[in-house]
Amino acid sequence: MIGVIAGRELRSSLVSPVLWILLGGAQVVLAWIFLQVVDDFTGLGADERVASLTVELALNLFGFTAVILMLTVPLMAMRMLSGEFRDGSFELVAAAPVRIGELVAGKFLALTILMTPLCLLPVINIALLAGSAELDPGQIAAATLGLWLVGVMFCAVGLYASSLSAQTGASVIAAFSILLVLSVIGRVETLGAHDLSLFGWLSWNEHLFWFLLGAVRLSDLAYLLGFTGLFLALTHRRLANRVLQ
Amino acid sequence: MDTLARVTDLSRRFGARRALCSLDLELRQGEVVGLLGPNGAGKTTCLRLLSGTLAPSGGRVEILDIDLARHPVAAKRHLGYLPERPPLYPELRVDEYLRHCARLHRVPRADVADEVDRAKQRCGLDAVGRTLIAKLSKGFRQRLGIAQAILHRPKLLILDEPTEGLDPVQIREVRGLIRDLSRDCGIILSSHILSEVQAVCDRVLVLHQGRMLRSDRFDALGPTALWRVRLLGGDDSGACSGVERLERLACVEAAVALGEDRFRVILTEGAESADLARQMLTAGLDLCELGPERPDLERVFFDLIGAGGTP
Repeated sequence: MIGVIAGRELRSSLVSPVLWILLGGAQVVLAWIFLQVVDDFTGLGADERVASLTVELALNLFGFTAVILMLTVPLMAMRMLSGEFRDGSFELVAAAPVRIGELVAGKFLALTILMTPLCLLPVINIALLAGSAELDPGQIAAATLGLWLVGVMFCAVGLYASSLSAQTGASVIAAFSILLVLSVIGRVETLGAHDLSLFGWLSWNEHLFWFLLGAVRLSDLAYLLGFTGLFLALTHRRLANRVLQ
Repeated sequence: MDTLARVTDLSRRFGARRALCSLDLELRQGEVVGLLGPNGAGKTTCLRLLSGTLAPSGGRVEILDIDLARHPVAAKRHLGYLPERPPLYPELRVDEYLRHCARLHRVPRADVADEVDRAKQRCGLDAVGRTLIAKLSKGFRQRLGIAQAILHRPKLLILDEPTEGLDPVQIREVRGLIRDLSRDCGIILSSHILSEVQAVCDRVLVLHQGRMLRSDRFDALGPTALWRVRLLGGDDSGACSGVERLERLACVEAAVALGEDRFRVILTEGAESADLARQMLTAGLDLCELGPERPDLERVFFDLIGAGGTP
């Protein structure tokens, strides 16, 4: 049943222009950043370079892709539940012999599959340098994994926000707000409370940073998977309560 | 006959507002039950409760003896539901959509193609299988909504205003389809169109402000005692007025003039329109028209909701 729901979502998304516009737009922006990083790096002498090309690419290209994901995943997620509430098509699934868990899993699987090509764009760009520059494949793999896990967490947040309202615009703003709060919360430390490392731990970009440096840490995995599970559970709860409203 | 659905003391509140109050209902195989009521009477709320898309505040719904609240997945296997707005995906083609619905209702993969063809054929969708749903007319969308509800051969079919937006020819086809489907399952449908309910239903439930005012089989409604009469030549037949001449008839309780040549006649208990016609002809009254004051259901409906009637 999860496959049936995910398959329908994928078919609907692939025939609508939103996904292709987002992918095309993201590639244009990333190609520009990629060229700028390579240009800056090659313009410096060997003694002027403070980091390797891999680190430069990982921090700039993958870091910016995470920001693009933060902007695009809520747009892809809004139609999954919020759009169906608005159009009345949710009644079809609600009256069908489908468990809410299967419904959430199917929607989440589809959203993750749709988001994955965006996560692969930096690697595809970097592949152009294969053979002509010395790169660290391990670090690039870790950065790609980190980016994908961050994207998966964004999907869970987007799906939860999508379950909050029948107004698609409101669900997108709710997702942006949650992701933005989880992004800037780490900066609380710069306000003076240096000992409150909890805020830093709550921030997703702090965890992505370690992946971009090539370190796959259990605490980072636990954070990303934990928050993904939390928001999926909240989505499940929200849909279960919907019949009461 | 088998009981397909049993509803006991079903209630639903939205905040302080009571949308449905203490509804009891039993639906049997082959029966078509119509929910009738003005806008806001609680018809859609009742159907949403029966389909499991809304939880009741109190009471119980059993589908084939399966409690809908405790075992929703098992109970919903036997349900087909057409909501007020057909639940369609405009970006899909008709065939794609129906295949998806079949899989969603757990039709075995090997039977999907046959069931889709059968549903399309029954709903007159054969010619539009490859058409995008976004390009379908309102009538075809409604038919597609019905097709998704009958795909998996449900035992209980719930239709919320199934003929909404259809033209007269399509309305007649859908009524025929509903009668046809009722051979295999029980059907509950809602409508605020009196003639619609009278045309297709065996039984009617009149809802008003969330309460069930009456539940009757059509054959139990009884003949009307109110008739309209039009006499040829009007009310100028000598010394006696038309009202007086009508009231002299043995089967007439009372008569009221509605116009120069039109009268409303109340028959005595047990008398029928045939008696009235026969006695009028015998008395030398030139009968031009004879018809019921209002259709039976309409009379019952307006009497129940207290909205008064037309003159």
